[in-house]
Amino acid sequence: MVEERRWVAPVDFAEVLALCQFLPGPNVGNVSVVLGRRWFGPLGSVVAFAGLMALPLVWVFGLALLYADFSSNPAVRAVVTGVGIAGGGLFIGTALKLARPLAQKPWGIALAASCFGVIAIGRVSLFTVLPVAMLLGWFAARRDLL
Amino acid sequence: MILHLAFYFALLSLVSVGGIPSVMPEMQRLVVDVQGWMSAAEYTQLFAIAQAAPGPNVLVTALIGWKVAGFAGGLVALGAFCGPAAVLAYSIGGYWDRMRDAPWRRVFQRALVPISVGFIVSGGYVLATPQGLDWQGALIACASAATLYATRLNPLWMLSGGGVLGFLLF
Repeated sequence: MVEERRWVAPVDFAEVLALCQFLPGPNVGNVSVVLGRRWFGPLGSVVAFAGLMALPLVWVFGLALLYADFSSNPAVRAVVTGVGIAGGGLFIGTALKLARPLAQKPWGIALAASCFGVIAIGRVSLFTVLPVAMLLGWFAARRDLL
Repeated sequence: MILHLAFYFALLSLVSVGGIPSVMPEMQRLVVDVQGWMSAAEYTQLFAIAQAAPGPNVLVTALIGWKVAGFAGGLVALGAFCGPAAVLAYSIGGYWDRMRDAPWRRVFQRALVPISVGFIVSGGYVLATPQGLDWQGALIACASAATLYATRLNPLWMLSGGGVLGFLLF
């Protein structure tokens, strides 16, 4: 949309993306909704979202059905589990990149580590952790600790 | 069951700051620990399929719904997870642009960084430990995380490498 069709300026696209990364929900889904609205109103949002999801949805269901046929095979299961674990590793790598600005901020590291401790190890619900973490983060950021 | 899934995913949609990775632990808690709809291993395998297929990683919600309640469940789960957040994005889009320079927006964004980091690492951890913490899983996850961090390789290489290691180690 930016490079080939020139429907959106690069700066503008970056702004929309920044908004959608900050909002809850899938980033690409939200980008399609915001841009679709800008040009065609509510219908544009729905069409943009459906267009974005339709083909990948066919793919992913196709793969899942294929896997369902072979999932009793231990070797296939081992490969797929390995892929899933590597996918989890990708999340961790992404978080490390995101964490670079925290290197000089001990309070930020402490907050991130506490979130990990209660969610991943303590298995506490996100619905409990998020409000508490937001409150702590808000106060710390207000005092320039983050 | 579909209604239960839809309701819960719609709630999750609104707390998914940081995107899909952040809600993976909570989704796993619901479908594996609380409801027992699948095992932790199956959960990681569904995630693997969504990662390996082309397209946005939010499609894992469709696979979870499909596993629980068939194709209808898949579509409902995807819609429920995207819908509320999309409505929020839709309605807040203009307002956000106007607040570009507001001081609270910067405070908010700075507060979100460590929280997102903690949530996303948690998502990676629960997906990488379907059978609890073992050395094979730790090796695959650390190798994949380090490669992503240190190189500019396409992530498909890390996923393929994970598949090969999984075949050799499990």
